[in-house]
Amino acid sequence: MSKTVKIIIWLIVIVVVIAIGVSLSKKGGDTGTGPIKIGFVGPLTGDAAGIGENLRAAVEVARDEINTAGGVKGRQIEVIFEDGQCDPKAAVNAGNKLVSVDKVVAIVGGLCSSETLAITPIAEQAKIPLVSPASTNPKITEAGDYIFRFVPSDLFQGKFAAEYLLKTMKKDKVGILYCLSDWCTGIESVFKQNFVDGGGKIVAEEGYQQDSRDLRSQITKVKAANPDIVYFLGYSDASIVGLKQLQELGVKVPIFGGDAWDDVKIAEGAGKAANDAMFSVTAAKEYAQSFVDAMKAKNADKELNTYSGRGYDILKVFADIMGRVGVDSTKIKVELYKVKDYQGIADTYTLDEKGDLSSANYSIKKFQNGKIILVQ
Amino acid sequence: MDIIPQIIVNSLIAGSIYSLVTLGFNLVYGATRFVNMVPGVLAAIGGYTVYYLFNQLGSNLYLSIIAGILIAGIFGYLSDHLVFRKLRRNKASNLVSFVASLGIFTMLQAVISILFTSQFQSILDVTQSPTTYEIFGATFTWIQGLIFITAIVAFIGLALVLKKTGFGKAVRAVSDDEEVSKIIGINTDKIISWIFFIGSCLAGLSGIFIGFDTGIRPTMGLVIVLEGATASIIGGIGNIYGGFLGAFLLGFVENFGILKISGEWKPAISFGLLVLFLLFKPEGIMNKKK
Repeated sequence: MSKTVKIIIWLIVIVVVIAIGVSLSKKGGDTGTGPIKIGFVGPLTGDAAGIGENLRAAVEVARDEINTAGGVKGRQIEVIFEDGQCDPKAAVNAGNKLVSVDKVVAIVGGLCSSETLAITPIAEQAKIPLVSPASTNPKITEAGDYIFRFVPSDLFQGKFAAEYLLKTMKKDKVGILYCLSDWCTGIESVFKQNFVDGGGKIVAEEGYQQDSRDLRSQITKVKAANPDIVYFLGYSDASIVGLKQLQELGVKVPIFGGDAWDDVKIAEGAGKAANDAMFSVTAAKEYAQSFVDAMKAKNADKELNTYSGRGYDILKVFADIMGRVGVDSTKIKVELYKVKDYQGIADTYTLDEKGDLSSANYSIKKFQNGKIILVQ
Repeated sequence: MDIIPQIIVNSLIAGSIYSLVTLGFNLVYGATRFVNMVPGVLAAIGGYTVYYLFNQLGSNLYLSIIAGILIAGIFGYLSDHLVFRKLRRNKASNLVSFVASLGIFTMLQAVISILFTSQFQSILDVTQSPTTYEIFGATFTWIQGLIFITAIVAFIGLALVLKKTGFGKAVRAVSDDEEVSKIIGINTDKIISWIFFIGSCLAGLSGIFIGFDTGIRPTMGLVIVLEGATASIIGGIGNIYGGFLGAFLLGFVENFGILKISGEWKPAISFGLLVLFLLFKPEGIMNKKK
């Protein structure tokens, strides 16, 4: 046999092996008997780990309830938890693993907007429905056909905050401190536009890196601009530091934040420095005692935030849909668009044609001596 | 309100923290000539030791601080004794030593996460407002004042030790040329172990201070090493005097840099300064051109 023939034969063998491999792996996605795999992306370490751990516990509670009740059409649900670290790079790794290696049928997450925006192209390309319980950046609305969320866009929150500051608190000179991440910049731009349109004035506008722990010079500049109120957008870790530094530098005006502050770690970590700082957060129903008890059993009962219930609701909706139409991603997607007046534990959900919630309600909460208190 | 005094104070606080890291970094670099990542995780170890002893066990604050410094020092000593000394004997390249230090860094960081979770923790009691002082309209807390004083004392102390003592002479000899020092009878392994110990104590101290000032988390080390290395390159890598100057220069440039432009440019300014130095004065402020 000549050398060329040998090479050709080997090439054919390689092509055949690859072809078989590809066809097997496509079928291997869902065998129809094993557990149904659902992916999870959220910050289990990093700047928002407190909220992420809480969300993970809630998703586990939902999973256990579904599985104890017999699963979906007799199949158990398996949730694969991946750490997105509130960081686009980590989230992309997590998303790729879930889609290519684990071959999940749907994804719960991400939590931070930067995580979600990083993995939406992956989910969209693989045609895997993704529902975020917490990412509020307005850009997610247009992120794709398979992308949904069970939390309202910041087009609502930015507007709500601007009106609350102007009309209820009667403050028209605001100094803004915001982190350089998709969540902060998204809400900041909506807020700014609405605040200025409403007759208010932005006296200072200072950004900082999400993982920065030295905000002193930014705060110094905000203070020097003499605002009536400081609008401070940040995730838990930087907010703890920032609230302390606001106090150290003698900023006496009220401080107002966004929904990422619904994390009791900030109240505990910043202590007295956080006292009376207020924030807007997506309104949630009062949780049923059974859910609170189940979360307690997972050691996550500290001040349940609005996202944990939303994560729980997403998994329940997935189970409900898969019980009706099976595990085909496209069918799940079609059913998700039909979600209307779904009574979850955190909210009543109706999705619009973009996969967003069609309306939004907000509450105002504040920190007080290491706790979070509902103001209205 | 004039904000210049406050910006100066902010710069001094940032510079003091950088300088503690850089002092240790340059001391070790001078003797070993490779970029060592371990001080970053030692800072975290220092911070977590104090957190464990003071917050969780309720020990005396000052004893906890001393324990934190010493434990960081011992870990640094062990890293040399168990790993780097063997690499030196085998004439391993700087790249190999760097990768080994990255390995130790990652491993210890993971151990801290397992023991203490990866959550952000505050060391000092947050139910009390910190005591603050004011000069020329600029405020700072007592801990920030303490950081500044410690940075100055540590620098002067280290400079005196290097200049005046026999040990200091040996350290300088090893930094100049390890082989020749060995030939003239200096026990270089022993000297380098001591350098590791002292440098690591300084790293631990900086971690403890960062913990007091803001808070600690297991992954804090990377940022600390990056800042330390930046200040050290600006000042002159391996040169403790240069490193001290570089640390404060970095603190001032990044805080004054955002005086007129928005704060989001801060990291761009500090790394821009680094790039400028690498391009036009790669030997740093204090080192002579080779």
